Amino acid sequence: MTQRPDSPLKKRFSFAGIALIILAGGGWFVTRLPSSPFDGAAPQATPDLIARGEYVARQADCVACHSLEDGAPFAGGLEMGTPLGSIFATNITPDPQTGIGTYTLADFDRALRHGVTPDRRRLYPAMPYPSYEKMSDDDISALYAFFMNDVTPVQQAAAQSDIPWPLNIRWPLALWNVVFTTGQTYQTDPDQSEQWNRGAYLVEGAGHCGSCHTPRGMAMNEQGLDSSDPDFLSGALLDGWFAPSLRGDGAAGIGRWSEDDLFAFLSQGRNDHAVVFGSMTEAFNNSLQFMTDDDLRAISVYLKSLPGQGPGWQAQPATVTSLVEAAQSGLPGAETYMANCAACHGRDGLGQNEWIPALAGATSSQGTEPASQINVTLNGSGRVVADGMPDSYRMPPYRDRLNDTQIAEVLQFVRSSWGNTGTPVDTDAVADLRMRTDPASVAPIVLQMR
Amino acid sequence: MQLNINGQTHEVDADADTPLLWVLRDNLGMTGTKFGCGLAQCGACSVLVDGQVTRSCVTTVDMLEGTEITTIEAIEQDDVGARVVEKWVEHQVPQCGYCQSGQVMAATALLKEVAQPTEEDVRAAMINLCRCGTYNYIKAAIDDLSGRKGEPL
Repeated sequence: MTQRPDSPLKKRFSFAGIALIILAGGGWFVTRLPSSPFDGAAPQATPDLIARGEYVARQADCVACHSLEDGAPFAGGLEMGTPLGSIFATNITPDPQTGIGTYTLADFDRALRHGVTPDRRRLYPAMPYPSYEKMSDDDISALYAFFMNDVTPVQQAAAQSDIPWPLNIRWPLALWNVVFTTGQTYQTDPDQSEQWNRGAYLVEGAGHCGSCHTPRGMAMNEQGLDSSDPDFLSGALLDGWFAPSLRGDGAAGIGRWSEDDLFAFLSQGRNDHAVVFGSMTEAFNNSLQFMTDDDLRAISVYLKSLPGQGPGWQAQPATVTSLVEAAQSGLPGAETYMANCAACHGRDGLGQNEWIPALAGATSSQGTEPASQINVTLNGSGRVVADGMPDSYRMPPYRDRLNDTQIAEVLQFVRSSWGNTGTPVDTDAVADLRMRTDPASVAPIVLQMR
Repeated sequence: MQLNINGQTHEVDADADTPLLWVLRDNLGMTGTKFGCGLAQCGACSVLVDGQVTRSCVTTVDMLEGTEITTIEAIEQDDVGARVVEKWVEHQVPQCGYCQSGQVMAATALLKEVAQPTEEDVRAAMINLCRCGTYNYIKAAIDDLSGRKGEPL
């Protein structure tokens, strides 16, 4: 028997054929509409369902990105900087031309949980669909009922992204989704309590806490989307703030906080250890405080179950306790602290109960990333509104009162006093954040998470 | 709640998170201590708590049980405070006067801590704001109290 080799021409055709099939299959895959359990389903809109949807919108904090400070709720417009260029949050009011008025329940589901629009475009994962995919069918249909029936339609077209071609091609995100999402709703862990599972559902799903608190990898993917991953909620730097670890880390996490402390922080915005500041102020003002005590308790139970690393903070007595001592000791930053900070935060750095946060032992006083402390010293803290009441005491901005060296030195003093173990603060880092948090500068930070 | 103010015990009916300044001015009618910025920045509301100068506008009363509070009303009952007031008059320090009760508290606290503060100590401790700009007079009075005779103003 003789084996006749394929002619070169035939071989070339078969390669082309396989390539064509792969291309066609791939093309179908990256532009397909994923299936939704709501395909062909008729949406419901009972008052109970709408009310529940409003609550889900609070949990998911949709206004954080889909509203501007003085704009209509959910009308979009927030600019977000990405390494590729700016994108803009879309209008998610039920306006038929510029909003989501023509979306079916299945379309809405696909956008929310799979990041795909009805015209088959892939959303950027700035929309936290890798977290939202864990939301239950019931919560999705409630949310749809709320947006379609209880949100005022606003005609306002979203601004176009300025990401240049070819980086603005969206279909590769379908492949991103294959690698970085699971495509599954939240799976109950039978070894954990019902309360823990509720907390996990809220934190990993609608709450999308990891969007800020989980470090991101090379492809802007969150390194860990659930409690099984030690990187999940382990702290991340974004927009000039360091969102600290929510794990049980001794010094840099919430290991020192009790479950009650955590519950107080989530429900009142403050406890004996800390007061919300930076981007968390808006998360508290718009989202957390509207959640039920049961849900916040469940979140507290869940977060306290996340193991951490490292020893806890050990209190040490103050080396300087008066202005005169500070002036005489010559310790850099000590005099600035006594003159500007000690009146509220205390000579012992312990603050004043839950009203003014302690700096001794504070999460932000530890670790290697001082961005939050620099930022809050330069720009002060935002208004915390709990139960409709604005807070009495607020960190004032020191932008015009202290220069870069003074701020670096005073933070260095804070980060090395009373047992704190934070790394030194570089004057250049202060100068950089001063420039980037000044809206009039040439390179302001674009995204202010709200 | 009981507060010890100027050697007298006052029964105070106030929420735990009420600032001492409101209790002094509104509940007890002691209006010598002034409201300035409300942010612990300007020093107009300064009082002494166990001898340490303290901003009463951000100090909640629940932290003060068991402490001795001194306000401007009783500052002349203190030997150092009396000398400060005497020199304040001699050097004609105040202009409008609004910040001066706080300035006197700060100066008294400083001199109680160090009898003869250096110029650097004075600069470090006298950080209260004065919109009339009486700083040079304040410095002259404290220099006098510290045994330094400066240039007469």
